[in-house]
Amino acid sequence: MSSIEEKLSIEERLSLVIFNVDEEPHIKVDTTKCEKCEIKPCLYVCPANLYTLDENGKLQFNYEGCLECGSCRVACPNKAIDWNHPRGGFGVQFRFG
Amino acid sequence: MSEKFDVAIVGAGPSGLTAGYFLAKNGLDVVILEKGSVLGSKNIYGGRIYSHVLNRYFPEFKKEAPIERWVRKEQLYFMTKDSAVKLEFFADDGFLEESFTAHLTKFVQWLGKKAEDTGALIANGVRVDSLIIDNGNVKGVIAGEDKLEADYVIIAEGANTVLLDNLNLKPITRPEEVALGVKEVFRLDSEKINERFGVSDDEGVAALLVGYPSFGAIGGGFLYTMKNEITLGVVVRLDEPAREGIKMYDIVENFRMHPVIRRILKDSYMIEYSAHFVVERGKLPGKYLVGNGYLVVGAAAGFELNTGLVVRGVDFAIESGKIAADTILKAHEEGDNSKIALSKYLDALKESFVFRELEAFKKAPKFLSNKRIYNDYPELLNSFFRELLTVDGNPRRIYSTLRKVMKKRKLSLFRVMMDGLGAVRSI
Repeated sequence: MSSIEEKLSIEERLSLVIFNVDEEPHIKVDTTKCEKCEIKPCLYVCPANLYTLDENGKLQFNYEGCLECGSCRVACPNKAIDWNHPRGGFGVQFRFG
Repeated sequence: MSEKFDVAIVGAGPSGLTAGYFLAKNGLDVVILEKGSVLGSKNIYGGRIYSHVLNRYFPEFKKEAPIERWVRKEQLYFMTKDSAVKLEFFADDGFLEESFTAHLTKFVQWLGKKAEDTGALIANGVRVDSLIIDNGNVKGVIAGEDKLEADYVIIAEGANTVLLDNLNLKPITRPEEVALGVKEVFRLDSEKINERFGVSDDEGVAALLVGYPSFGAIGGGFLYTMKNEITLGVVVRLDEPAREGIKMYDIVENFRMHPVIRRILKDSYMIEYSAHFVVERGKLPGKYLVGNGYLVVGAAAGFELNTGLVVRGVDFAIESGKIAADTILKAHEEGDNSKIALSKYLDALKESFVFRELEAFKKAPKFLSNKRIYNDYPELLNSFFRELLTVDGNPRRIYSTLRKVMKKRKLSLFRVMMDGLGAVRSI
């Protein structure tokens, strides 16, 4: 339960979603390809903020908390993201849709 | 699973389940493979279903389906950071039964139950990884270690076409052909919803919101009232966030914090956060919809429509699922699963509202890519009303006020007329 009077961090929002996290990542990123990518659309499109830059400007990502929209896969200009749905039965489980 | 089926369907959403329902009802052995462990748990949309197809194929739906509210009020907002102009349509007549709001997960569970009752087998928690392809003929599906043979395969995997893309069965999805929808669901007592929107218990509201919700990017906001929930979200064309430097999870929050939305959502709390693709291709899907042994239906086939005023998907999904089922039933009778036999699917689609409406609105995405719609016009409308309604002893007449605010936005009368003409020609 989260009141809407205040801003809600993405972590708070994701805590409202049921995940059955698979140990096997369903997203793999070839970050060497990201080094020469100037726009990095993944940083902007991911609704769960799973793509971030570390202090050295290197791309970091996490597949846990993925809402499985597929945006990073389609938006990536360098085909650096190997994206699949989580294995059957795993991943996000929406209750309202 | 080593048994052979007549038909294997990839994905238990509205299109796959409709196809499965009609195929099983007519005696075929059908299996529907769904990656989610719970039916409907991976299905996401804005909040509204148009009922014309349900009247035709499932007339009992009014008594059975998990309908939240019948849409009675249609609203269009033009928003700036701190103001809004709202246009509302309300009619006290049969318009009441045109469309209804529903939680898609629950609607899919209802449709799934109907498909199962006719004898279709739904296998939950099964991710289809590939297809069995022999000499260019699709002969079944592959899920992990399991191979499952079928005479016909229906691909109903939804807008995020991982299977079709991986197998190179369709042109690669480009960012400008899809939009990302991010949605938040809020719990709010039905009495409060009724009071705030001026509706009674089973009456609902559907709203599209232009301008500030997408932060001026190509896209917009939406709002639907459920019985005890409000769904609120933003849809933005996928190539826009990086170009505009906006983060999707931020603009959804900014939208939610808008003074108009804050008042609507007061005392509510968020209960779900979700995201999904919306197809905005703007041209008729190509020949990839049919091959030897398979058909593509629903959002995977690109059957979604956004005219700027009307946003649809589920009715297209159901119609294409029904047409796919009819095509396969006929082909099965003749013992033919070739591409030629299945091409009758395309012929039937062309005769249906699916292609007729997509064709009629094929220029809509181009028109809707005019950024003035999301920046200048919401600002113009808001400053026009702000100026016009100001009383300070200086007379403000409509035409001179309009010219004044247009000049402020650096919009010429010619420009505005051309944009108006563009709207008339495309939507």
